[in-house]
This record gives sequence, structure tokens and C-alpha cells, in this order.
Amino acid sequence: MNWFGNRLVTVVLTVAVLMAASVFVTSFTNNIKLPDNNQGYEPVQPIAYSHRLHAGELGIACLHCHHGAERSKSAGIPSANVCMNCHARLTAPWVNVKAEDDLATKEKRKPRLIISPELKKMYDRIGLDDNLRPDSTKTPLPLTWMKVHNLPGFVSFNHSAHVRSGVQCQTCHGAVETMERVRQVSDLSMGWCVNCHRDANRNGINGTPRNASTNCIVCHH
Amino acid sequence: MSHEHHPKDEELQTGSGVGRRDFLRLAGFSFAGAFLAGCQQGKIEKAIPFLIQPEEVTPGLAYWYSTTCTGCSAGCGVLAKNRDGRPIKLEGNPDHPISKGGLCAVGQASILSLYDSHRLKGPLLSGKEATWNEIDAQVTSVLSRIRQTGGRIRLLTGTITSPTTRAVIAKFFSRYPNAKHVEYEAISCSAILDAHEITHGRRILPRYHFDRAQTIFSVDADFLGTWISPVEYTAGFRAGRTLEGTPPKFSHHTQIESQLSLTGSNADERIAVSPAEYEGILSQLAILIGEKGGRQTGLTSKINPEMERRVQRIADRLWQTRGRSLVVCGVNDLRLQLLANFANHLLDGYGNTVDVQTPSFQTNPNDAALQDVLHEIKAGDVGALFIAGGNPVYDLPEGETLGANMRKIPLVVSFAERMDETASAATMVCPTPHFLETWNDTEPVHGAVSLTQPTIPPLMKTRSFIESLSAWMGESQTAYDLIRAEWRSTVFQRQSSKKTFDEFWNDTLLKGFVTVSAPTFSQSAFDLPSFTSSLNKTDVPKDDGSMMLVLHASPTMMDGRNAHNAWLQELPDPVTKTVWDNHASLSRNTAEKYGLAEGDIVKLEVQNGGDVELPVHIQPGQHDAVIAVALGYGRKGTDRFTNIGPDWIQARPTVPPGALVGKNMAPFVGHANTLLTYITNSVTISRTGRSYSLVASQEYNSLRDPNLLGEPTGERRPIVQEATLAAFSLDPSAGSFRKPHLETMWPEDHKYTGHRWGMAIDLNACTGCSACVVGCQVENNIPVVGKDEMRRNRDLTWIRIDRYYDENNDGSFSVSHQPMMCQHCGNAPCETVCPVLATVHNDEGLNQQVYNRCVGTRYCANNCPYKIRRFNWFEYKRGDEMQKMVLNPDVTVRDRGVMEKCSFCIQRIELAKIEARNSGTRLKDGDIQPACAQSCPAQAIVFGDMNDPESKVSKRMKNPRFYKVLEEIGVRPSVGYMTLIHDRPDDKEKQHHG
Repeated sequence: MNWFGNRLVTVVLTVAVLMAASVFVTSFTNNIKLPDNNQGYEPVQPIAYSHRLHAGELGIACLHCHHGAERSKSAGIPSANVCMNCHARLTAPWVNVKAEDDLATKEKRKPRLIISPELKKMYDRIGLDDNLRPDSTKTPLPLTWMKVHNLPGFVSFNHSAHVRSGVQCQTCHGAVETMERVRQVSDLSMGWCVNCHRDANRNGINGTPRNASTNCIVCHH
Repeated sequence: MSHEHHPKDEELQTGSGVGRRDFLRLAGFSFAGAFLAGCQQGKIEKAIPFLIQPEEVTPGLAYWYSTTCTGCSAGCGVLAKNRDGRPIKLEGNPDHPISKGGLCAVGQASILSLYDSHRLKGPLLSGKEATWNEIDAQVTSVLSRIRQTGGRIRLLTGTITSPTTRAVIAKFFSRYPNAKHVEYEAISCSAILDAHEITHGRRILPRYHFDRAQTIFSVDADFLGTWISPVEYTAGFRAGRTLEGTPPKFSHHTQIESQLSLTGSNADERIAVSPAEYEGILSQLAILIGEKGGRQTGLTSKINPEMERRVQRIADRLWQTRGRSLVVCGVNDLRLQLLANFANHLLDGYGNTVDVQTPSFQTNPNDAALQDVLHEIKAGDVGALFIAGGNPVYDLPEGETLGANMRKIPLVVSFAERMDETASAATMVCPTPHFLETWNDTEPVHGAVSLTQPTIPPLMKTRSFIESLSAWMGESQTAYDLIRAEWRSTVFQRQSSKKTFDEFWNDTLLKGFVTVSAPTFSQSAFDLPSFTSSLNKTDVPKDDGSMMLVLHASPTMMDGRNAHNAWLQELPDPVTKTVWDNHASLSRNTAEKYGLAEGDIVKLEVQNGGDVELPVHIQPGQHDAVIAVALGYGRKGTDRFTNIGPDWIQARPTVPPGALVGKNMAPFVGHANTLLTYITNSVTISRTGRSYSLVASQEYNSLRDPNLLGEPTGERRPIVQEATLAAFSLDPSAGSFRKPHLETMWPEDHKYTGHRWGMAIDLNACTGCSACVVGCQVENNIPVVGKDEMRRNRDLTWIRIDRYYDENNDGSFSVSHQPMMCQHCGNAPCETVCPVLATVHNDEGLNQQVYNRCVGTRYCANNCPYKIRRFNWFEYKRGDEMQKMVLNPDVTVRDRGVMEKCSFCIQRIELAKIEARNSGTRLKDGDIQPACAQSCPAQAIVFGDMNDPESKVSKRMKNPRFYKVLEEIGVRPSVGYMTLIHDRPDDKEKQHHG
């Protein structure tokens, strides 16, 4: 063995030890992820929309806003007109409105329109003025949300196939109704998908036997 | 990626100390390090919902709108698939009375033209960008001056099939004392209409019913490829040849032509003759049929005895099936058309196979009127010229002079989509929208009215032709209002099933078309005296034995209108298989006579001036005295495709520097009296000594065993299996050659308990038109690779049409077309050699290609006996941002380094399965149609579940004609073919295998 062979062994061993050490250290931080694994991704959204409040506290069904999930590949993000179904009237939390009402009664005047700062961001974006009337100086624009769940380009996923088979939204998305800001709970890896498919084939979904394919091309095409 | 652990570069280069394996070991560690270090957040994506979501739209779902294709004027019904607000695929409307579900390659590819960023972005005034208001002000001021002075207004358009457009033009013209509308086609069949004016009293194009014909005799009419309404005719032709019943339903088709056309390649009997012989053959035919009917025709004919014998046989057959015989002629020559009419008359064709009472409006050129207008322009007598449709400066023989003369006209308005040759010479350009962006209507056949509806808001600042006319009449109505108003007063009145107009309109919009009453259009009686006197006035062509230049339509470029479309430029010509060029086709004898080889550049000179240099293509089946060249090439702006292929060190440009794609042959179109003629006598060929790289997608032409495989046997390989009709009548399995069951080494570990997908392709229905090739390209996001990559055989199409020539020992010649795609073998050779299991079998019989597993060893492609696997050598260009809008979001856009191939349109299979499951129903046969099967005008391709004994595909597979290609090697393909049957006079061999 020449001097280079020795050096090679040294280099390899050093690297191996460093690798092992880094794996050991990082394993405590719970932070080892494969590329494209965005588990735990919790982007800040342009509006601090709370799923906990809407889906949890108020008990609005997921499909009320994400109605595409039942029929389409994509669950869809509600358009502003869906938000405005309620928020054309509901402009601020009840306590704030009540406080203004009380104050107005005390001061013997008409109550002012109270708009919460987060909703104001939406009204501005979709081109409404402070009285919620279309503002001709503003261009109405759709809200630009941060996409939380991203699949790689070569994977196809169909929401309707899963929702119609009885898979709960929470099975993949976690307890969104408890989240103030939505976080990616599952790692959305292939192993995770396939495990669930295998389980559905063995045990069915909610007791109903299901044939969940594990053919590659069902998702990869 | 970090390089810090790598050994020094020089060590690698000299190879001292570190071997390849050492390097890989080290590299492995360093890659792993980078891998673990790369625990960063993936690509950040935004999600933008609608501002106000339309009630009927759900993102991710496809919506279908019925509309009408205007790729040509045949008026095929299409369904436009819309995803997320943009059309991404056109499919034939199965209920449409003209096209019956088919859509040709040009129709399929027309979606790419929508997303062409080279379209005009807005109106131009004297070459500068302008607003519509400026345009309108200018036009109206010139027009009001003309109205006062009584100057001439001329409108030059292509065929107008739209009733509304006709009405708007009439209304617009009624305001001016001297206004005239002239329709022209660069590839004209004006003589058909002229001949019917003589024989039937009205200038009409009859509707030809190929489905009703038992015997078809065609003189140079490429009705399956380029002539008038190829999709309709293909469907009709196919319907007459289903081989069902006893005796089997099968029409006999004879083609007389000088160069090999797609139609000729499908004929039962094809005779290559010089164009000078057409007249003699048609006269002789009329004489013989006349004799049989006991009529004196007064015609004379001089043809050689061999031809006389053949014409006698054709005449016998036509007479035998009179009333169900059809004679068509594709030559723009009045004498030939009169003779064809006469033959149809003698054969009782009128009222049966040739319909003049409910005629077709699919093409309506008037060459005589065109000549009048050109003379007026030349004389400087025109005050305002409007050009809508067509590109006369490019596509007319006198285009160049016209361009110069146009500059003398005070107002020339071009309604072009792109800055073409005519638009460049116009004073103002009013760009019109793509047909998927606008409202329109069309009545291609008397009584069948189709609607065109927009499927996307206009991408450019365009305005449709009728909207512009309306604006200049001071009304500024939208196309929608104009069409509804016209329909309310005319089309609605022609029906009685719907009570209110809105009900009628909505129903028509849903279906895409409506069938309304069609009052008899012209007399059906043949005007014999008028025929005889007119025929005597026409000249009998003289054959001086010189070389003739035959210009023919290209099925992809047509008259040049598709030159901007890269998909069509790269679609192999159905017969020659060449891409990205036109060329001078010569017969082998002629090429040998002049000492020319494939790709040699020759100079063609015509007698009355003009010459062109073109590369030679040696074409079997062509007459020795003919040089055939396709029209529609050499269009301005095609230099944009110079660098369409991938960038790499050895890349060669698709278009040579400073050149265009192909050569423009329009200047060589001639005039015979007033008619445009595409046949020129006395052409001289001279060698230039240079050569050019002509690229064809197929380089193997014969099914005979090639000599390089050992002792030449001349054996015909049973890839295309065929039989004659006579043999088929005796034994339906004639020609279908099967090897006995082969033992397999593989365990039967695939049970296929659910679906098992398979495909059966009827070679007898397939004409080789190549609509499926483009259909697949659109559906599956297949990129354009450019001419150089095509030359290197690195094309990426998942389906190809193999075209084989069979030159028999007796001198006869036959052609077969065979669609070839992944055969989804049960024992797939590709699967066993993949080291990373990127191609595996699934439990529905599909051979799956998993892009994310593929590492690009290409072993699978080497081991595929059908050679259908395609490798992504590069990151291919997808055009610009606008062009990307055409991509199908359901199909992965493949990266460099992965293998790909036909997936049986797995995205459609999966979607159909999900939809059936969601609605609680079972998947029905026919719910899934791959893109190729859907587009086929002849319904040659059938796809379905082989486990379902009632499915169409199972039934075809039980048919005695069914066989599988290379079945003898034991790969058990899921795709099979039905034998090709021809009604040929002699049974050459073919059924003697096995």
C-alpha cells in the first residue's frame, strides 16, 4: 500500500466519523429530512387566517371552502367571494363590534364600522374601501397565499378519489382545526403514501373494503 | 454540491494513484454529505385562487366546450378541453355530422397556434403600433371618400363558410357602389365548381359520399390527405370498407396519379401515370361507360393498349356498381372536371354518391374572379383592398408583383394573425383572433350549421373580421351579437323543433352544431348540350414527353398557413416521412438518369422563366416524367425555428443561416386560361454538385429481409400482415400469420384480476394520416426536438406511423401504414434489463415507466424489439412562457436523462377510474379513449379492457384477422393489429406464411 492508499483510508475514515457524528447530533434536533421533504413547513401567510377559529371553534366544514376536494384533483383555495359571503357583514370580532356599539350608544352617535386589521388586508387587496364599497382607485386582485403542501412535479394526486373513499382530511393534513397557522404535518413521502394504501387494502377505510392501488404509474405519470 | 472531498483534478486526469472505484467511493461519501447537509426548505410556491370564482368552474377539473375547427374550411366539429381557464386539447366531436369524431393533424396542432407569441399583438398602421380607434378613423375616412368618388372596393378572402360573415359582408358592401368580394384558394379546385356550373347550372361544390360508394375512381384527388374535407372523406371511405357481412362490405378504390399521395398509398389499385395521360384515361373511361349504357359520347381518346386494358377493367367495375360508383378528380382543369362529371352522370352518381342538391360549401374558390381582381389591382383601379384569409403575396404565382402593386392602392387592410408576407405589404393590419378566442359560425355542408365559441379571452389585442366590418359601418357590434342576430333571422327560421330562439341557441351551443332544413340547391339533371359545347371549347393537353413539375398540397403545411407551427413542421410527411423541408421528389429511374442521389441539390428551371434549387428525394411509386414538390414551404418568419432544438456543442441549426424552412413553390403555379394550374411542362433539371441533409423519421422502407442479415432471402417479414379481398372472402384469417404457443421461462405471476388494458389497431382502417401522432404529442407534452435531433434519430414521439413500401417482383407496388407505439408486452424485454426497476409491470397489464426512478441507462430501449422507447437526451426547449400554456397539467414534463414511452394515456385511465368510482358506477367500455384512438378519423384504434369479453377490443382480438407484431419472439404484446385487406387483382403471396 503506497502513501496515497494510507491517505485515502484516513480521508475515508475521517469523513465517515464526521458523518456519523453529524447524523448523531442532528438526530436530536429531529431535523434529518430527505430532499423535498417539507414536513413541518409552516409559512407565514399574507393574512393571519386562523383555521383553528374557522374550522375548529366555529365548526365550518373543510369542504365548505375547499369544495373542489370532493370533485376535482385539487381541493382548491376559496376565492375571495367565498370569504365575502360572511365577511361582507362580519368585519371584526364580536367583542370589538360590541364595544363600539356600547360606546356609540353612550356617546349618542351611530356606531362606526369596525374592521379588524387582518380583514382590512383582504379588503384592500380585493379593491374595497373602508365602507366595503368597490374603490375605483384600487385594482381588485386575488389573495396570494403561500402554498403549504407541495408535491414533487412527477407525482399526481387526486383529492376527490381520496375524499370519496372516506379518507378524512385530517389523515393527511393533521388536525388543521387546531392550527392557528397551517403546518405540513405529514412528510408526504412515497413510503407514507404507500403504507396507507397497503393498510387500506388490508383493513379498508372506516370498515369499508377498498382497493388502493400500489402501482407506480397510478401516481407517477 | 461541495467538491472539497474530491481528490485533485490532475490526479483524476493522470489516473495516478486513484482508480475509478476509489473515486466513486470518495464521491459517494461527499455526495452523501451534501445530501444530508441539504435539509433545506424546498421550492416555495404560491397559491392564488380566483378573485370571484365562476360558479361552474372548479380548478383541476376539465371543461369541454363544443366548437368548430377552422384549421381549414372543412368545418370539423371539435370539443375543446379547458383546464384552469385555458384550452389545452382539441378532440373531434363524435356527434358532428361532418367529422364524426375525427380530427386531423392540422386540427390537433392548431392549439399550438393559439399560444404563439409571434402572433400580432395589436393593430398596425403603416407598420407602427396603433389603437383600434386610430385604425377605425383612418378606414372610415378613406371609405367615405370612396363612397363619394365611387372607387372600387375589393375584398379578397379564403373560402367563407360562415353565414353571418357572408351577411355582414353583404351589408357592408351595400353601402358602396362598386364593391366586390372574391374568394380564392391558393390550392384551388375552382374547376370543380366551374364544371358544375356548366353541367348543373349552378356554381357549386357537390358533396361526395365516399361511404355510399362501392367503386371509387380517383384521378389525382388526395381525398384522404389534402383534398377538400379529408376527415369527412376518411370516415366515409372507412365506412364503406368495414369487411362486415357476407359478402364483406368493401369498396374498390382505384387511384390514378403521377406522384405517390396518401390516398394513392391506400388504394386497392394504383396506377402511376404522367399528368398528360389523365385526359386520355378519363375520356376513354367515359367512352367505355357510354358504350355500356348504349350512348354515343362523341369523345375520342388515344391511350396505350396496356392502359386501355386497365381502363376497360375499371370501366367494367364502375358500370357494374353504377349508382354506387364515384369518380373524383383533383386536378384543377376544366376539361378533366367536365369529363369526371360526365362519368358520374353516366354512372348515375348524381343523387347517389355525388350530391348537388344539398351541396358542400367547404371550398369555394373562383379563379376567374381572382384574375379579374389581380388585373384591376395591376391597372391601379382599386381604391381599397381588404384581405381576410389567404396570404396572396406569398401563395399566388404573381405574389411578388401583387405585393408591389398593392403599394399603389390607397388603403390595403390585411386581417392576418401573424406578420405574414401580405400583412407586411399592407397599409394597415387588423389582427384577427385565433378561432378558440372568438365567436363564429359555419355551414360547411348545406343544412349542417356549426358554432365556434371562444374558450379563452383573447390573448392579444385582436378583433374578429366581422367586428371590424361592423365598426366601420358605425355599429360596433360584437361578433356574438352579430351571429345571434343573423341566426335569429335565418338559421332559427330553418328549423321547427325548438320554440324559442334562446332554447335553440343554447341547445346548438351545447352540441356545437345543428341540422336545419336544406332546400334543394340546384337541379340534379345533367345538362348534356351545355356539357358538350363547353367540352369542345377546352383544349386537349398535348404530351410532349418533357419533364413535368407537379406541385401538390402538403398535408401539414397546406397552402403555407401552418408554417409557424413547429408540431406540424416536425410531423413526418405521411408518405415521404421527411420533416422540416420540402424537396423535389423524383422516381428512382429519373434520379439514376440524371445521376442524382438522395439529398443532392438540383436546379429546376421552367420554360417561361424562374428557377429554384431543391434537394432531391427519391420517391418510389412516382412517374418517371414527374418532379413533385410540396407547396406551403419557404414562408417568411420560419427562420424563427433556427435554434428550436436543444443547445449543445454539436447542435446544428434546424434552418440553415439566412434561409427559411423549405422553398416557396407558389411562383411556379401556372395559369391555364383563368384557372390556377399546378402542373407545368418542359422543366429542365440540372445538377448543382452540392448536397443537403434531408431528414426523414424513417430510413427503412421495405419489409423484405435486408441483405445485411446474411443470405438475401427476399422474404417478407410478417410485421404488416395482409391479404387480398378474394383470399379474405374464402378464409377470414387469410394473411394473419401466427406462431404456435411459445413456452415461457417467466412465472405466470401476474393474475390480471381486474382490468387488463389492450389495444387493437385495424390496419385496414388506418390511412397513415398521422392525426394520432399530433394528438399524442399534445396530450403527453412531447417536445419538438428540431431537425438535427431528428437526423440523429432522437425524435420523441410516443406513437409513430411506420410506412413500408413493397415493390413486388411483377413491378406492382404497394404501401402499408402501421401505427407503432409501446406494445405493453406481458413479458416485456425492457423490464428485465432495467437495473433500477424504473420500468415495471402492473396488475392491469401496463408496462409502467417511472420517471423518478429512471437513471437513464437506456438498456430498456436497446432491448425493445419494437423500438418505441424514447430518451430525453436534453432539457428540451418548451418555447416561451406563452407556449407553455399548452402543456397538459396531468402529465409530467420529463427531465433530461429519463426514458419515456407510450403510457396508454394513463392519466385518462386513472381519471376515468376515479370518476367511475366517485359516481358509484362501473367503468364502461369506451369510457377511456387514449388521445390517439380519439383523434382517429377512421376509428382504426380501439382501446379497452381485454378481461371484459364484451368490450370492443376483446371482440377485435377474437376476430380471425387479429395478429400481433413479432408474436413469435414470445413477448406477449397487449397491442395487436388486424390484417390489411386490399381488393387487388392478383394475390401475390402474403397468405402463405405459417
